Amino acid sequence: METLKNALDFSDFPRLDLTLAASVAVFLLVFPFFSHSSFAMSTLIQFLIFSLYGMGWNTIGGYGGQVDLGKAQYLGIGAYTTSVMLLRWDTPFWISMPIGILFSVTWSFIIGYPLFKLKGHYFAIATIATSLVLKDLFEVWELVGGSRGIEILAGKYQTPDFVHLIFKGDDYYYYVILIFFFIGILFMNAFRKSRLGFQLRSIKDNEDIARSLGINVHWAKIKTYAVATAFVSAVGSFHACYVKNIEPEDTMSLDISILIALMAMLGGAGSLWGPIIGAAVLVPLKSYLKEWLGAQAGMVGIDLIIYGAIIMIISAAEPRGIWGMVEKARRRKRN
Amino acid sequence: MEILTGSISAGLLIGMVFALVALGLTIIFGVMDIVNFAHGEFLMLGMYTALLTAQATGFDPLLTIPFAGLVGFMLGVICYLGFVKYLIRGPMVAQLLGTFGLMLVLRNLALFLFGSEDRTIHEGLLVGQSFDLGMGVIVPATKLAAAVLSVVLFTAVWLLINRTRIGKALMATALNAQGARYMGIPTERMNAFAWGIGGATVTMAGALLVNFWSVTPYVGLLFTMIAFAIVALGGFGSIPGAFFAGLIVGLITELPGIWDFIAEMTGFAWMVDVPMTSFKYTWVYLAYFLIMLIRPRGLFGWKH
Amino acid sequence: MALLEVTNLTKRFGGLTANDAVSFEVTKGELLGLIGPNGAGKTTLFNCIAGLHPIDAGTVHFQEQNITRLASHEIARLGLARTFQIMVASGDLNVLENIMVGCFLHTGSRMKAKAEAEQILKDMELSDLGGYLVSELPVAAQKRVAMATALGTRPKLLLLDEVAAGLNPSEIEGITAIIQRIHTEMGITVMLIEHVMEMVMNLSQRVVVLDYGRKIAEGDPKLVVKDPNVIKAYLGERYAKEHL
Repeated sequence: METLKNALDFSDFPRLDLTLAASVAVFLLVFPFFSHSSFAMSTLIQFLIFSLYGMGWNTIGGYGGQVDLGKAQYLGIGAYTTSVMLLRWDTPFWISMPIGILFSVTWSFIIGYPLFKLKGHYFAIATIATSLVLKDLFEVWELVGGSRGIEILAGKYQTPDFVHLIFKGDDYYYYVILIFFFIGILFMNAFRKSRLGFQLRSIKDNEDIARSLGINVHWAKIKTYAVATAFVSAVGSFHACYVKNIEPEDTMSLDISILIALMAMLGGAGSLWGPIIGAAVLVPLKSYLKEWLGAQAGMVGIDLIIYGAIIMIISAAEPRGIWGMVEKARRRKRN
Repeated sequence: MEILTGSISAGLLIGMVFALVALGLTIIFGVMDIVNFAHGEFLMLGMYTALLTAQATGFDPLLTIPFAGLVGFMLGVICYLGFVKYLIRGPMVAQLLGTFGLMLVLRNLALFLFGSEDRTIHEGLLVGQSFDLGMGVIVPATKLAAAVLSVVLFTAVWLLINRTRIGKALMATALNAQGARYMGIPTERMNAFAWGIGGATVTMAGALLVNFWSVTPYVGLLFTMIAFAIVALGGFGSIPGAFFAGLIVGLITELPGIWDFIAEMTGFAWMVDVPMTSFKYTWVYLAYFLIMLIRPRGLFGWKH
Repeated sequence: MALLEVTNLTKRFGGLTANDAVSFEVTKGELLGLIGPNGAGKTTLFNCIAGLHPIDAGTVHFQEQNITRLASHEIARLGLARTFQIMVASGDLNVLENIMVGCFLHTGSRMKAKAEAEQILKDMELSDLGGYLVSELPVAAQKRVAMATALGTRPKLLLLDEVAAGLNPSEIEGITAIIQRIHTEMGITVMLIEHVMEMVMNLSQRVVVLDYGRKIAEGDPKLVVKDPNVIKAYLGERYAKEHL
């Protein structure tokens, strides 16, 4: 009950922020009714998907300060669980998604226990290592299609199929992920005010002090890692239904893991709006660069050079991210 | 038996080259606590430098090594002064992501300039030559040369750091940058120098590697991960550690051969069916993970 | 009744023995001072008691329970809290929220934690500063925040590590009054490390003196300062011989 109240209570934000957030929400709700290109539509869906991944990462990576660069493995587990169950047993999405979460969270506990014995760089690289090991496994595992991956055949379903989440038009997918997105924001709003949310911020700054305040640091990290995992896995399941064709190389690569962390950092790690702002900047940037430059002959790679250069500039010039800049400016004004 | 000796010798040879790949990473980490994701991309550029100079000039690829080293040194110094210097002021997450950005830029620059196709060296003094030492030990001349040169370069870097003034200054910077600054050591220049040495050793490793390993713009990540594993195993910042860890990781990548040997000896049919070669590098990642848990400072680590 | 009982506690860092077979007791309801020259091993002793460092020999009992091998968060949960010389639970949180981190030890409810933290703020005379970041406050207020954060865990025994360091005389007076209030009104047993002698003498009912990791004296503060061993430790052997 109190959690629900926390989730719905945004009163600690300035009115300006809430007005902006409400306008964005209205825009997102009515967007499909205006004329738009299918490219704009798919970019928006990608934005929603990735801001949800970013929110998941933000729990452990932002509030907890643990640089997790292995989130793609949970995306993969979620996506594969849903695809395989749909293909083999025609399982409804709403059943396969929780099962995917169950698998992901179980796996996250198994590797989280040893992982969080490590700190700093060692932790970050170890998360990459675990993700790559899982990807290698999926690439030879014939049940899930090996390196060719797995394809959902939409033809046999009567669309729109809300049970299996198979649609012809992007509009349906858009609204489903938009609902996920709003739930995600409410969840994160409750999370940042929860006991775990407070404890994590203490762990991020100084683990000795956190311990002296009675916080079981190792366990708090593992729990949060499981929360982040559940988030990513659920959206991964949706991702599979949306793209309908998943391969280890696309869904579980290091690039995806990095992109997830990058968005949260760019927007402002450890803040509610950070991952959303980051996704709103990076996702369109990446897809537009690809659309404009990637397709032109003789320009192969230019889009990713620009993208990489932007990452370099941001990390060197403003590592606290966009939201960090806003907060700094506000604090200066107040004092 | 021949499978076993063959695998072990191949593992040790490639291990020496892997060690050289990791040397630069361990120096950079030892001096300034930053993990460079673009390390494998430096290697890839070294491979292209050697390949293209050899093709353009008609020299043997092995003769291009000094030139590749020079290019790598400059690349390292430029990266430090133009980018990393600013990056290290920020938090760790920014450092990791920043060098990832550098990796994307270098990789796609190579893609833009050289295209995506596999390239291999077909001509050269040693290409195609090999020595049969019996017992299944067949040593390709290119790999042998690479291994020998790797040992030479390792010794040279070790001497540079332990026996010269500039090396001592580098060590001082690594141990306590602020203290070193008070003693009049130009730590900024030392950091740049560390990146230069790091870049030079890894591009030279690339120039050695290209004699028997085909190059694409995407070759880097695998070697970045191998280098991470070696550096972790050997201990972040330890030069002898990197060498021995390189040998161990070389042997790990030859595990499929050793597996086949065991399968043959024991006669377990199920062992033959396991697609071990697909997991060649999985073992490297797994080894990293396990080593970090058991010995967080690696075998020879002195800095944490 | 002994609330805390430290027996033969020994801690070595490499070749350096930071605490050498230190034994003492803290009685329930007491206010005990721990003094000694710089480098005597006072903070190390706190860290060992609070479970931050594993100790090499000896035992620590808290409320008759052996806590020698417990993890530091488990010790904190039993009611043994400590402050650090620099103590901010989180730089991202404001003062009130920092104190809430401690309060969350006993409740999962944000409202309850907040109400408790607000009460502590009031007790510590910090009510006006609840909305600031700790880094924006003057040192004296930061020290009070450190104590308030530790109080949030509802300790039975509070270890205070140099809460008066860097303060001016009037600020020291203020913090002395607050420590007294924690001790008498809240009924919390306090053990404090302090270099400001006047404060220790005024506050402590009993002091323990450490030098080079060993306990060299213990007892009534007025008597301990006259102890030749203590004078020698503070002033050096030669000076003590020539002038006393």
